[in-house]
Amino acid sequence: MSEQTIYIVDDDEAMRDSLTWLLEGEGYRVSCFDAAETFLGTWHAGMHGCLVLDVRMPEMSGLELHEKLDTLGSHLPIIFVTGHGDVPMAVAALQRGACDFIEKPFHNEDLLSRIERALELENQLAARQQRDGAISRRLEQLTQREREVMQLVVTGLLNKQIADELGISMKTVEAHRARVMEKMGVRTLAELVKAVMTVT
Amino acid sequence: MFALDQGEKNRFMFVRPPPRQPRHTRLWLAPYFAIGIFAVAMLVVTALLQWREQDTALSALEGDMHWAERTIEARLHAHQDFLTELGREQEFRQLDYESFQVRASRYVRDNPEIEAIIWVSTSGKVEWVAPHEATATFVGEQLTGERLAALEEAFRILRPVFSPDYSNAALGRSNDLILPIQQGSSDIGAFIALQSLESLLRVTLPATFTTRYSLTVVDANDRVVLSNSSISPTERKISGTISLDLPQNRLGLNIVAYRGGGAWLAFVPAALILVLTLIATITLIQLRRHALRRAETEEQLRAAYAFRQAMSQSLITGMRAIDLEGRITFVNAAFCRMTGFDESELVGIKPPYPYWPPEEFEKLQYNIDTALAGRAPSGGFEMRIMRKSGERFDVRLYFSPLIDADGVQIGWIASMNDITEPKRVRVELERAHERFATVIDGLDSAVHVADADSNEILFANRSFRNIFGHDTVGRNSAVVTAACRPSPEALQVAPGELKPEDLPCELFDGEIQHVLSGHWYHVHERAIRWVDGRTVRVQIAADITERKHFDDINLQQQKRLEQTSRLITMGEMASSLAHELNQPLSAIANYCAGCIKRMQSGNYQLDDLLAAMQKAGEQAERAGKIIRRMRDMVKKSDPNRQPVHLAELIDETRAFADIEAQRTSTQLVVDIPENLPKIVVDRIMIEQVLLNLIKNGIEAMHGTPIDRRRLSIEARRIDERLVEVSVTDQGHGMVDGDIEKIFAPFYTTKAEGMGIGLAICRSIIEFHQGRLWVETRREGGTTFRFTVPIEEDADE
Repeated sequence: MSEQTIYIVDDDEAMRDSLTWLLEGEGYRVSCFDAAETFLGTWHAGMHGCLVLDVRMPEMSGLELHEKLDTLGSHLPIIFVTGHGDVPMAVAALQRGACDFIEKPFHNEDLLSRIERALELENQLAARQQRDGAISRRLEQLTQREREVMQLVVTGLLNKQIADELGISMKTVEAHRARVMEKMGVRTLAELVKAVMTVT
Repeated sequence: MFALDQGEKNRFMFVRPPPRQPRHTRLWLAPYFAIGIFAVAMLVVTALLQWREQDTALSALEGDMHWAERTIEARLHAHQDFLTELGREQEFRQLDYESFQVRASRYVRDNPEIEAIIWVSTSGKVEWVAPHEATATFVGEQLTGERLAALEEAFRILRPVFSPDYSNAALGRSNDLILPIQQGSSDIGAFIALQSLESLLRVTLPATFTTRYSLTVVDANDRVVLSNSSISPTERKISGTISLDLPQNRLGLNIVAYRGGGAWLAFVPAALILVLTLIATITLIQLRRHALRRAETEEQLRAAYAFRQAMSQSLITGMRAIDLEGRITFVNAAFCRMTGFDESELVGIKPPYPYWPPEEFEKLQYNIDTALAGRAPSGGFEMRIMRKSGERFDVRLYFSPLIDADGVQIGWIASMNDITEPKRVRVELERAHERFATVIDGLDSAVHVADADSNEILFANRSFRNIFGHDTVGRNSAVVTAACRPSPEALQVAPGELKPEDLPCELFDGEIQHVLSGHWYHVHERAIRWVDGRTVRVQIAADITERKHFDDINLQQQKRLEQTSRLITMGEMASSLAHELNQPLSAIANYCAGCIKRMQSGNYQLDDLLAAMQKAGEQAERAGKIIRRMRDMVKKSDPNRQPVHLAELIDETRAFADIEAQRTSTQLVVDIPENLPKIVVDRIMIEQVLLNLIKNGIEAMHGTPIDRRRLSIEARRIDERLVEVSVTDQGHGMVDGDIEKIFAPFYTTKAEGMGIGLAICRSIIEFHQGRLWVETRREGGTTFRFTVPIEEDADE
C-alpha cells in the first residue's frame, strides 16, 4: 500500500499555501490544485489519501467535482471546506455519503482530526477493496458446474438435495464441493458463505 | 258556348299586345308634300291655260278692233266723200235744192247713222235740210255753241271738220261732219252731216261684234260719250282701245270683250283645286290625329302590360290564375320559380296539377274543389307541394275571384307564398332565443337591464335573480339592488343626462361590496340603447369575493416575499462579506497554526517561519482592504437633495398608495396650497416617508366603517424656512404610552409590522433637518406631522 497524500483543491492561493504550510508541518504529503478541472485532469484510480475541497470555486464547484469523481468510481474521501451560508450545500453533499465538511474559519486541530479520520477511512476502504478483489479472482477460477454447486451449498442444501436438483450423482457433488472449497481457499462452510456474501 | 266565350276572353286577358311599331317621324309629312305639289302643279297648269286663253282672246280682240277701226274709218271717209261730191256741185252751182234733196235723202236712207245732211250758211243758219222729214234739225235753225265753233273752225282751215259730239234730243249723242264750201275764195256755206254715234257703231259693226264686245266711245278728254253696256274696262278684262282719227276731233273706242259664262269661270278650276287640297289636307290631319291617338293608346296598353308583367314577374309571391273549371290560364315567374315548372308546362292544365305530390293528392283535390266552389278560407290554404325536382315545400295559397272588365267572374286567381323559410326562421329565432337565455342564465355574473329613467328592471338573468330575488323583473332597480349599487356620484355620467347619440356609454366599472352579504362584486355598468330604442343601464356584476380574498392573501405573501428577499439580499451580502473575509482569516489561522506546530516540535527553520509569518501579515492586510471597500460602498448611498414641488411628490406617492386605498375603499384627500414653494429633499426618501405614513393611516382605519375611511394629506408653510406636511387618519388613535414608543426601533402595534418603519422615517426627516411627530386627535384618529426645508432663494 502506497503512502497517502492530501489533495487540496482551492482557487485561493493564500488558502492553498497556508494549508500546505500547516499540513506539511504535521508531516503529511500535500498536493495542491488551483481548480477542480486541474484535479480531474490528473486523477487516477490509484490515488490514495483524501481530498480537501473548497465548495465555492469560479468554474466547476466542489460539489460538481464530487459528482464527477463518483461517476469515475473514486473512493477518495472528501472534506468540503465551506464558507458561511454554504451549510445547506454541505448537507446535500453529506447526504451523498463518503464525505465530511468543515466550515471556515476553522480551527486547525479540527481540520487535522477530520483529515486523520478521512485517511483512516480511506485505508480501510482500500484494504477491503483488496480483499474483495482476491475473492473475486478466486470465484473466476470456478467452472460453471462448480459455481452452480457452490450456490446451492451456500443456500444450505445437503449434498443429496443438490444432486437431485442438478440431476447428478452424490459422488460428483462431493467432488465439486471439495474443489470449490479448495479454489476459494476456505476450510469451513461458514468461511465460504462469508466470502460469497462479501462479493455479492 | 258561353263558357267557351269566357275561356277565350280569359285567354285574351293574358295575350301580349302588338309589338311597338317603328316610328317614321318624317314619313307622315309625305302626303302633305304630295298634296301641296299636286295643288301647285294644278294651279300652274290652270294659270297657263288661262293665260293662253286670254292671249288668244286678246289676239282676236285686236283683230276685231282693227277691223272695226277700218270699217268705221272707211264709212266716215265715205260720208266725207259724199259731202265733198255735193260740195263740188254746189261750188259750180250745179246743185239745186231738188237734186240735193234727192241725193242727200237717198244717202241718208242708205246710211242710217246719218240723220240728216244740211246746208248751212256761213253764219251757221240752216238753209237746206235733207231729208226734209228729218227731225233733228230744221231749216232756219241757227247753229250754236260748239257746232258753230266747229263750223267756224272749218271755214278757217277750209277742211272737213268733225264737231265735238253733242247731245241731240232726237239722235242721242251726235256729231257733225262739216265740209266748208268756197266759191272762188269766198265761203258760201257748208254741208253738214249729222251723224248719230250710236247708229254709226250699230251700223258699221255687225251684231256679232257688239254681242261679243262692249263698246264705249270716249272723247278726247276720255269722257264716256256712248256705251252699249255697263262694263268698264279693267285690268282683268281683255280690252283694247281704238282711236278714231276724225279731223278736228278725236274719238276713242274702248272695246271690252264679254266673257262667255262670266269672268269667275276662270277661277273655278283653281278654286276647285284649292278646295280639294284643303279637303285632302284636313282628311290627312284627321287621319294622323287618329293614328297618333291610336299609337298613344297602344303605348299605354303596352306600358300597362309591361307594368303588369313586371309586377307579376317581380313578385316574390307566386301568382296563378285558373278558369272556373280549374284550368290554369296564367302563372307568373315566381310561381314557375317555386315549382320549377315552365309556364308552358302549366298553362292549360286542369287538376291534378303536376306539382301535386302524390301523397297529398286527396287533400289538394279537396282544396281546389273548395276553392272552385268559392269556399276558400280567407286565411288561405296551407299545403305542401312539390318542385319538379321532387323536393317538397310548404306554401300558403290565397284564392280570390278573377273578374273581367264586364264584372263577370271568369276564374280564380291564387297567390302562393313559400312559407318554408319563414317557418324555418321562426324556429331558428326560437332556438336563438333559447340559446341566448341559456347562455345568459348560465353566466356566473349577475346581469340585469334597467330603464335609465324609471329604473324599471327589464331583464334579469338567473344569477341576478339568485342574488336579488326571483320576482325582480318589473320592479325598481334602485330598490332591488340598493345593497350593491354604485352611488350616483360614482357614475361617470349621470344616466338621466345621456343623449341617444352618446350611447353606448360607460357608466361604472369598479368593485362594490354587497352591504348585506359582504360579498364583493366587480360591477360593470354601461348605458346602451335597448331593443325598443330607450336608454337602459346594463349592469354585469361578477362575484369576486374569492378572488379578492386570494388577492389579499397574494398581497400579503407579496409583502412577506419582499421582506424575505430583502433579508436574503442582506444575508447574501453578509455571506459574501464573510466568505471574502474568511479567506484571509483562514489563511492567517493556518499560517499561525503551522508555525506554532513547528515551533512546538522544535523542528523548524527560521526562514520558513518568517516567510509564513509574512504571508499571514499580508493576509491580514487583505482582510483590512475588504473591510475598507465595504465601507466605501456604504458611503456612496448619500441622500440626493433636490428642489422639488411637494404636489408632484405627493402625486407620485399616490400612484403607489392609491392601490392600497382603493382596495380598502379609503378616500385620499389632498389639500395643498397652490403657491407652496419647492422643498429641498431627497425625493425617494420623502416619498418613502409619505408612503409609510399613508399606509400606516390606511391600516389604522381597518376597523373604521367604509364611509368614514378618509385620509387627508395637508401642507402649509410655517415659516420662511419650513413646510409642514400632515397625514391625518380617522383610525383607532393611540394610547399615550404608544406615542412615546412608536419611534423607537423594533416597536410596533401591528401584528405583522417590523417596527422599524417610523424609526427610519424619523431618521430620514431628521437627516433633512426636519422633525417628525404625532398627535392624537380628540375626535379620533391620528395626525403625523413632519417638516421639510424649502428652497432658500425661493423667498417671496
